[in-house]
Amino acid sequence: MYWVSIVTEAGIFAILALGLDVVWGWCGDFDLAFYGYLALGSYMTFVLSIGKPTAPVKYIIGWHLPVPLAIVLADIVVVALAAIIGAIALRNLRDIYFAVTTLGAVSALYLIVQNYTPLFDGYNGVYGLINPGQAALRLTYNGYRIVLLFVVLGILFLAYLLVQRLSRSPFGRMLRSVREDERAAAAYGRTVFTAKYRAYLFGAALAGLTGGLFAIFISAFNPSAWTPQELLVIYAAILVGGRGNPRGVIVGVFVVYIGFIELTRFLPSPASRPEFGPSMRQILIGLLIILMLRFRPEGIFRERPGVDRVPGPGWRLGPFRAPAAAASPGSVTAGPAVAVGTSTEAPPRAAQPADAGEGLSARGSAREGHAADDGSGQ
Amino acid sequence: MSPALLEIERLTKSFGGVHAVRECTFSAAEGQVIGLIGPNGAGKSTVVDLVSGFGQPDSGSVRFAGEQLIGKRPDVISRLGLIRTFQTPREWRNLTVMDNVLLARRRFASESLWRSMTQARRIRRAEEADRVEVRAILERFQLAELKNERAVRLSGGQKRLLEFARIAAAEPRLIILDEPMGGVNPVLGARIGEAVGQFAGEGRAVIVVEHNLPFIEKTCDRVVVMDLGEIIAQGPFSGLRDNPRVVDAYLGMDQTHE
Repeated sequence: MYWVSIVTEAGIFAILALGLDVVWGWCGDFDLAFYGYLALGSYMTFVLSIGKPTAPVKYIIGWHLPVPLAIVLADIVVVALAAIIGAIALRNLRDIYFAVTTLGAVSALYLIVQNYTPLFDGYNGVYGLINPGQAALRLTYNGYRIVLLFVVLGILFLAYLLVQRLSRSPFGRMLRSVREDERAAAAYGRTVFTAKYRAYLFGAALAGLTGGLFAIFISAFNPSAWTPQELLVIYAAILVGGRGNPRGVIVGVFVVYIGFIELTRFLPSPASRPEFGPSMRQILIGLLIILMLRFRPEGIFRERPGVDRVPGPGWRLGPFRAPAAAASPGSVTAGPAVAVGTSTEAPPRAAQPADAGEGLSARGSAREGHAADDGSGQ
Repeated sequence: MSPALLEIERLTKSFGGVHAVRECTFSAAEGQVIGLIGPNGAGKSTVVDLVSGFGQPDSGSVRFAGEQLIGKRPDVISRLGLIRTFQTPREWRNLTVMDNVLLARRRFASESLWRSMTQARRIRRAEEADRVEVRAILERFQLAELKNERAVRLSGGQKRLLEFARIAAAEPRLIILDEPMGGVNPVLGARIGEAVGQFAGEGRAVIVVEHNLPFIEKTCDRVVVMDLGEIIAQGPFSGLRDNPRVVDAYLGMDQTHE
């Protein structure tokens, strides 16, 4: 059951990471408020489905809706909050200024929830969503948890299909152009704010959904469940898996969650220093981020730009599957294959027999080298 | 005579105490190539920014096909049919050459979030026609073999060509090129001059900001000379050589030109 629980949790966070990747990976906005959307989605799911509070517990609303409906309504509230925060933070702020603004927003939310008890009962939080529907489905406790695992994985799969479709669509391409160069994107008619805003709301909607699932998963929710540091783990996971690549993001979450966090649970935790384990984990996550950025900044799976499959009229070597193979991780480690803008006189130089395989300016002769690489491409 | 496509009138902008652009008035007609020259700091790039919405003037007016551009955002102006470039090529670095040019086709309707979720297949089919055109454009600018490469991996000259491929794909009515010859060798320069002529031949108005005077002489129908934020002369290039104000302002003009 331990593993069922871990995989369910990783699956939930994978959905969250898919949403965050749309915001950070595609649009380049380092959003620190994102975990707040999960938290709000979770809180709202509770107060919409667990019924009236009994004193001294206090919280708002207290309806008794069916859980799926509660999740949908909760998600609407989350998107509404994201609409406000996004409207402020995305309009003119970028990079670190955007990050600081979102951090401010989530900190304010955190303090309000923590200290204003009539909202979600402050420190104590809300609880009581214990395996909703277990009786109706006539399941044992363990059976329910296994069903929940598959429900989560199913939703993850659907979310993956949706995000993958968006990633390859003109919408995804447009977002990435905004990320790469905002001024150029505007010069070609894109309204930068609107583009980022739409992506931000989409990401928040996924986070709100995740909050609902999380509510079912942990059945109680209070401020200690959503400290802002949690978000760093998600960022680390995206970085490890491959920023901008939905498949990579999911792999990254499972690798970081299961392979990393769970393994570090076996770190010694001396009784006199109970904070040693968790602190050590934070340090290791920071280390992981640094190492990834140093040695493999594109992640395990690199973001895949769209490949135009019909050979251009200039092809002479017959069908050529993916010239992007030259840009694949394999050749990055293979040596100094990148000639990034070093020569301004490339076209004439391309006509000469150039040092074989050494980059793009050596077009004609480098072809064979690339063709040989082709099979190894991702 | 029909009114020009772009009419700039008494355009003025100062940064603090510096008059970057003062009372500038000139126009550009369809099918015409206008050269905008002047020494560094003359205000040429500021004019480009003001016209394309990347800056707001203190006063003056810019009319494009009869419509006032002042106060409009860059993306709105771009959608009206004006494409500008920047002094350094601003390619979308981690997108492929193909995607760079496809984006310049500007099919805004297919970039809707909702339609991308619900009608992915239809959008992809519709895009196929664009891809065919873009492949032809890439061929025209000698980029066909590089279509699936990330733009960041192109050489400086190839990035210039990519910029032109994007413009060709966008099919704008007015093109403003900010120093298209920066860091470009003579062979590629000839190719770029040819492309500028082609754009004009297709009935587009072209404004070229450039320091390379032989290039200006060869490609431009008319030249506007700026110095210290003011227009000091305009007319055909041949008439400017004898203008003492121009020679005076544009140090080294005789030497570069011979």
